[in-house]
Amino acid sequence: MELSTLPQQLINGILLGSIYALIALGYTMVYGVLKLINFAHGEVFMMGAYAALFASWALGYTPNNALTGSNPVNLIVMLLASMTFCGLLGVFIERFAYRPLRTQPRIASLITAIGISLFLQYGGQLFLPSSPAPNIDGKVNPFIGNLEVTLAKGAGTSAAAAADIQSKAAVAQKSYDDWKLSHKGADEFNLPADGQALLNVKHDTDRAVRDLKDRGDSGSLKLSVPRGQFIMLVTTVILMGMLTYLVMFTKQGRAMRAVSHDFDAAALMGVNVNGIVTFTFLVGSALAGAGAMMSATFLSGTKIDTFFGMLPGVKAFVAAVLGGIGNIPGAVLGGLLMGVAETLVVWLGYDNYRDAIAFVVLIIVLLVRPGGLLGSSKVEKV
Amino acid sequence: MKIQTNYFSWQTGLATLALGLGLIIGCGSGDKAADNGATPDATKSAATDTTATKRPAPTSPGVKPSGDTIKIGVIGSLTGDQKPWGEDSIEASKMAVKEFNDAGGLGGKKVELLVGDSASKAEQAKSAAEKLISDGVIGIVGEVASGHTIQIAKSAFPRAIPVVAIGATKTTLTDEGTHVVRVCYTDDLQGPVVAKFAYEALGLRKVGVMTDNKQPYSQGLSKSFSDKFKALGGEIVGESFYESGQTQFSGQITELKAKNPDGVFLSGYFTEVGPIAQQIKQAGLNVKLMGGDGWDSPQLLVSGGDAIIGSFFCNHYNNKEDRPEVKDFLKKWSGTHGGKEPGTTMAALGYDATKLMLDALKRASVAKKDYSSRDIIDALNDTENFPGVSGKITLKGNGGNPPKRALIVEVRSQADGFQVFRKAYEASEVTK
Repeated sequence: MELSTLPQQLINGILLGSIYALIALGYTMVYGVLKLINFAHGEVFMMGAYAALFASWALGYTPNNALTGSNPVNLIVMLLASMTFCGLLGVFIERFAYRPLRTQPRIASLITAIGISLFLQYGGQLFLPSSPAPNIDGKVNPFIGNLEVTLAKGAGTSAAAAADIQSKAAVAQKSYDDWKLSHKGADEFNLPADGQALLNVKHDTDRAVRDLKDRGDSGSLKLSVPRGQFIMLVTTVILMGMLTYLVMFTKQGRAMRAVSHDFDAAALMGVNVNGIVTFTFLVGSALAGAGAMMSATFLSGTKIDTFFGMLPGVKAFVAAVLGGIGNIPGAVLGGLLMGVAETLVVWLGYDNYRDAIAFVVLIIVLLVRPGGLLGSSKVEKV
Repeated sequence: MKIQTNYFSWQTGLATLALGLGLIIGCGSGDKAADNGATPDATKSAATDTTATKRPAPTSPGVKPSGDTIKIGVIGSLTGDQKPWGEDSIEASKMAVKEFNDAGGLGGKKVELLVGDSASKAEQAKSAAEKLISDGVIGIVGEVASGHTIQIAKSAFPRAIPVVAIGATKTTLTDEGTHVVRVCYTDDLQGPVVAKFAYEALGLRKVGVMTDNKQPYSQGLSKSFSDKFKALGGEIVGESFYESGQTQFSGQITELKAKNPDGVFLSGYFTEVGPIAQQIKQAGLNVKLMGGDGWDSPQLLVSGGDAIIGSFFCNHYNNKEDRPEVKDFLKKWSGTHGGKEPGTTMAALGYDATKLMLDALKRASVAKKDYSSRDIIDALNDTENFPGVSGKITLKGNGGNPPKRALIVEVRSQADGFQVFRKAYEASEVTK
C-alpha cells in the first residue's frame, strides 16, 4: 500500500468499472421490465467477445498475420459486429427461452436463465475455438501509447551528478562494444572472463542510469491511461448518454418506463409490451456486446474462451444490485464502485481477494440496504 | 400481496446465492492457504535431504496385469487452456507405446495405452485417474501440470500404482509417495537457474514477482526463484498475485511499477503470461521478463505479441541439441507429423516418461514372473542412466527427482524459431 499509487489505482478502477457498468445496465434493464434476473447475460457478453474476434479475423487480423497497422474503422466494424450479434442473441434468447415461460412462476424463468448460461458455456466449446484460447490481435488497435498527466514532479538528481552517471554509462558501453568488435562471434551469454567483466561494468552503469530515472519517477505523481482504454471509457460514456436519451426522451423509452412501472397496466393502456421487452433485450445485450468487444480488444492479449463472461457477469450483477437493481443510473454507479473496490483491494495488498470482494459487497448490500444505493427499499405495491 | 412475497423470496434467494458463491471462493483460498503453509518446510526438506526418506511407500500389494494386454494409462489435457501440452504429450506417449509393441511387446503380450482427459482442471485429472484405475491400468503416465499430477498421485497411492509425471515440476510432488517419480527437473532447479541467469547474465538486481495463486506450480516456482535471487544478493522488490482466468492486471502492475524493478519474474502459465506482458508494456514498465517452463507454447507469441519478444525462460531441452536421442526422436516425430517438429517440449518429456514406464515394466517382469504394479514402482526408483530425449535420467537415490540440465532460452518471433537457446546450467551448478 503506497499513497502515491492511489490516484492511478482509482483510474484503473474506473476503467475496469466502466465495463462492469455496461454489463450491469443489461441486468438492470431486463429486471426493470420483466423482474427477471437474466443470468445468461454474462454469456451474451462472452459471445460478444467471440463476435468481435471473428470480425477481427474477417478484417485480416488472424493469428500470426503480417499486417502492420490498423485504423479506427476496423474497431468500429468490430464494435458494430459485436453489438449487433449480441443484440440479436439477446432477442433470440428472450423469444425462445423466456417468453414461453412468462406466465409461469418466476423461478422457472430464473432456472431457464441459468440453463442457457450453462448451455452457452459448455455447449459453446463444441463449436467455438476455445482451446488453446484465441485472442484478438493487439495490432488491430491503432491507439498505442499512453496519455500521461504529471501532477507533481519528483526531486530527481542534480544535473551534474546525472551527467556524470550518464557519461560513465557511455564509457562502459563503448568499452564493451569495442571488446565485442575485437571478439567477433562471442556469445553474449557465455562470455570469457575478460568480456564478462566488461559486461558486468556495463550492467552496473546501466543500473545507475535506471536508478537516476527511477529517482525522478518515484517522487513524482503521474497518471497514465493507455490510449486504447481511454477510447474505451469515452465510448462507454457516449453509449450511456445515448441510453439516457433513449430511455428519457423517446416514445420507446417512455413505453419502457411504463412497462417497468406496471406491466399489466401498460398493456391495458395500449403499449405493445412484447415489443418493448424485445427492445429492452436488444439494447441491454448490445451494450454487453460493446463492453465485450472493448475489453477483449483494448486489453491486448486477453484470451477468449467460453468462460470469458462468467466473472465479469457475476461482478456486473453485483454491481446492478449494489446500485439498486432496476435503476439505470444505479447500475452505472454500482459498476464504477465495483471496479474501484476491486483495484483498491489490490492497492491494499490483498491481491488474493480481488474476486472475492464482489461477494462481500453483495452480502453487505443485501444485509444493510437491500434496495441498493439508488434503488427504493420500499415494498412494491400491487 | 403476491408480489411482496416474491420480492422477499428473490432477496433470500440472492443472499443464499451470494453466500454459496462466497463459500466456493472461500474454499478456494482455504486450500491455497493450506498449500502455502505446507510448502516451506516441505521444500526445505526436499532441498537438504535428497534421499527424501519421508516419502511414504504404498502398503497395498499392488495391481497385477489381467487380460490379454497390459494396460497403461496416460493423462493429459485434451481440452481447455493446456491443450497444446496435453496433445503433444499424449501423441508422444502413443508413439512410445507403438514402438514398444512393434519391437515385440512384453514377452508376446502387447501394451494397451488408455487415454484420460484432464481438461486442464485438477478435479478432472482426479476423475480421469480414477477411471483409468478402475479400468485396470498398472501404471499411469502424466501429467504436465503439478496441480493435476498431485491429484493423480493421491488417487493412485491406495492401489500402489506407479505414476510417472511428465512435466510436473513442483518440488513437493514426489513427497506424495514412492509411487510418484518424474522425468523433468523440479522447481528447486528451475527457479534458481532463472535467478542465477537474471543476476549474472542479465545483471538485474531488483526484481518483481507475479504469482498465479491458483496454480501450485506457480507458487512453488516463485518461492524457489525469490530464495535464490535473494541469496545471490538481489532484491525482490515486490510480489503480486493473480489467478488464472483473470484478464485485467493493471492494479497489480501499478503496484509493481511503483517499486521500480529492473525485471519481472512471471511464474505462471503462458495463458496469462501473454496478456500480462502486454499490459506491463502498456503501463510503461520497460523491463526484462522471465519465467519457467510454463511459458513453453507457441501460443505465448499469439497472446504476448511484441511485448513478450526478448524475454527469457527456463526449459527442459532444445530441438537444436546434437545428442542422438534428440535427433532420433525428432526424426520419428516429424515422420508422423508432416515434417513438423513438436510445438512444445512436453512431447519429448511425454515420450521419455512413457519409455521410462515401459522400461521399468520390462525390468519388473524380468526380475519376477508374478510381478505387480508395486514391483514396477521399485523398478522405477532403481532407474539409473536411462537415456531420455531430455537427457539422462537417474532416479536411484534421488527420491523421484532426477538431476537434470536446465536451459535458458530467449523468446523470439515465430520466424526466428520462437525459442533461441542461450545458456545451459547443470544441476550441480545451482543447487547448494
